[in-house]
Amino acid sequence: MAVWAFALRNLQMASRNVFLLFELLFWPVVNVMSIGLLTRFLGLSGPEISFVLTGTIAFNTLQVCQLDVAYALLYDAWSKSMKHQFVAPIGVRHLTVGAWIVGMVRGVFVFLLQALLARWAFGFDPLGAGPLPLAAFLAGCFLTAWVIGVLVCALVMLVGLRAETAAWASINLVLLLAGIYYPISVLPGPVAGVAAAIPLTYFLDAYRAHYGFVPEFRAPLAVGFLLAAGYILVSHWALVAAVRRARRSGLLLKLSE
Amino acid sequence: MLAIDARDVVKTFHSGLLGRRRTAALRGVSLAVPRGAIFGVLGPNGAGKTTLLSIFATLLTPDGGTVTILGHDVVREAGLLRRRINLASGNASFLWNLRVAEILAFYGRLYGLHGATLRRRVEQLLEVGELGPHRRVPYNELSTGLKQRLSLAKSLVNDPELLFLDEPTLGLDPDISVRMRSHIASLRRERGMTIVLTTHYMREAEELCDEIAFIKAGLILARGTSGDLKRQIRIGDVIALRLDPPHVPWLSQAPGVLRCAVADGRVHCTVDEADKRLPELLRALHSEGVMVRDVQVREPDLEQVFVELAR
Ligand SMILES: Nc1ncnc2c1ncn2[C@@H]1O[C@H](COP(=O)(O)OP(=O)(O)O)[C@@H](O)[C@H]1O
Ligand SMILES: [Mg+2]
Repeated sequence: MAVWAFALRNLQMASRNVFLLFELLFWPVVNVMSIGLLTRFLGLSGPEISFVLTGTIAFNTLQVCQLDVAYALLYDAWSKSMKHQFVAPIGVRHLTVGAWIVGMVRGVFVFLLQALLARWAFGFDPLGAGPLPLAAFLAGCFLTAWVIGVLVCALVMLVGLRAETAAWASINLVLLLAGIYYPISVLPGPVAGVAAAIPLTYFLDAYRAHYGFVPEFRAPLAVGFLLAAGYILVSHWALVAAVRRARRSGLLLKLSE
Repeated sequence: MLAIDARDVVKTFHSGLLGRRRTAALRGVSLAVPRGAIFGVLGPNGAGKTTLLSIFATLLTPDGGTVTILGHDVVREAGLLRRRINLASGNASFLWNLRVAEILAFYGRLYGLHGATLRRRVEQLLEVGELGPHRRVPYNELSTGLKQRLSLAKSLVNDPELLFLDEPTLGLDPDISVRMRSHIASLRRERGMTIVLTTHYMREAEELCDEIAFIKAGLILARGTSGDLKRQIRIGDVIALRLDPPHVPWLSQAPGVLRCAVADGRVHCTVDEADKRLPELLRALHSEGVMVRDVQVREPDLEQVFVELAR
């Protein structure tokens, strides 16, 4: 029930927010169009276009899902109502999972929108890889989104709202390293190391294999899921620890007044 | 049977760069609240009231001491305890875009309510809080009074055995405060709820609470029923009289008069209960042939109480 409470609340908040249109329609469309047109201007080949657009689409899908997870806590921080949910007998998992479910629904919507646009405007069909690879790819996006969203929540619980911008920025930076627009083999050594630690990298790799690219990793899906599972445990633990610390430091109260 | 048994509770906040600034919010607070009581924590701003209540409500972990609430340790058994308590505060706030009924339903679900049970509970709370006509109003369009009523309604969503109210009438118009107080009193009367409330209004504590603890700078300076406290610290109502002749030596010995002082042409008599003593004094003055030119009755304010307590 508590999971459903958070899911429903995210839906209700989203349905009354004009920025929703931007998150769900405007940015995905603008991104796919501008990147797509860029590939055309550069005269890239069909496979190259699909390589780049796969990255764009993954990034936008993940972003929307990740926002929902972070909102689960940010709504309460912004409205200073934090203490009311933490005086209730819930765990942070209810909060993050509930919000994540809504994030996935919105993510699928954004994915389909971009897929149709990419097929219509640039002749790249992201749905063409078949249902299983597609499901694995989306699962990769959503699991990575969960991890990022939960880490943003943990940072806010640790240092308060002034961390908000920094959290978004640093985490997006890390994401960009995940070989969204290039194979990670072009990255210099240490940076490639960072990219190799990001689960999304492997899901992109596996998905692109269906469009004729030679995989950079062996068994990318297995590694991706394993990495994601590890990060999920770590980020969940980080959030639990951050909430416990906020109860000790008084930040939980500061976020309520 | 105790609802709350707190011993030597200590809490220090760290703030500023690297947490170097310390605020000792609670410096060894012990408190026992029997079940079924309305208990008041009274004190000026910054006294530590919210800190104490937050520790009781598991929102803040104490640095030292032990707190047992409804038989549960607040730190080790917080999860179990949370089902049986709830909290409302005068400066509460909820998600700006959600409507009144949605807010109540959201918190209801956090306590495991669903389906018809949830719908019935929400309806009941809307009725109790007289929020029915506003059920579809978004939170940010509510008046302060309605927000406060919503906050109280939310705190009843799990039918708690023990309810914490942090300054429940903060910022309300006097007439709305009166209704809020009678509502709080009825919660205990009708549901047998134990209520702990904080306030910095002396009158409020006096009117509502069976027992009051005065807290200041993180220490409980006195506790007892309001009558006990007034006797203990000899604080009462003040009757200011302009008399002719101005000096009436026997006045300070009259029954119920705690002390008398002369200031700006008036005799200020501190009495235990103005309602009872004023007619007596006027009768006595009249029979002694003293003219009463002017009378003013003042209730002692909290500042005075603390001046007394600090001695
Ligand atoms: N979350 C917090 N972080 C740092 N200091 C705090 C925090 N909450 C309260 N304080 C400090 O602790 C003291 C007691 O505050 P509080 O319990 O809110 O008092 P009251 O509710 O009686 O007005 C104050 O000096 C206040 O500044
Ligand atoms: Mg306070």
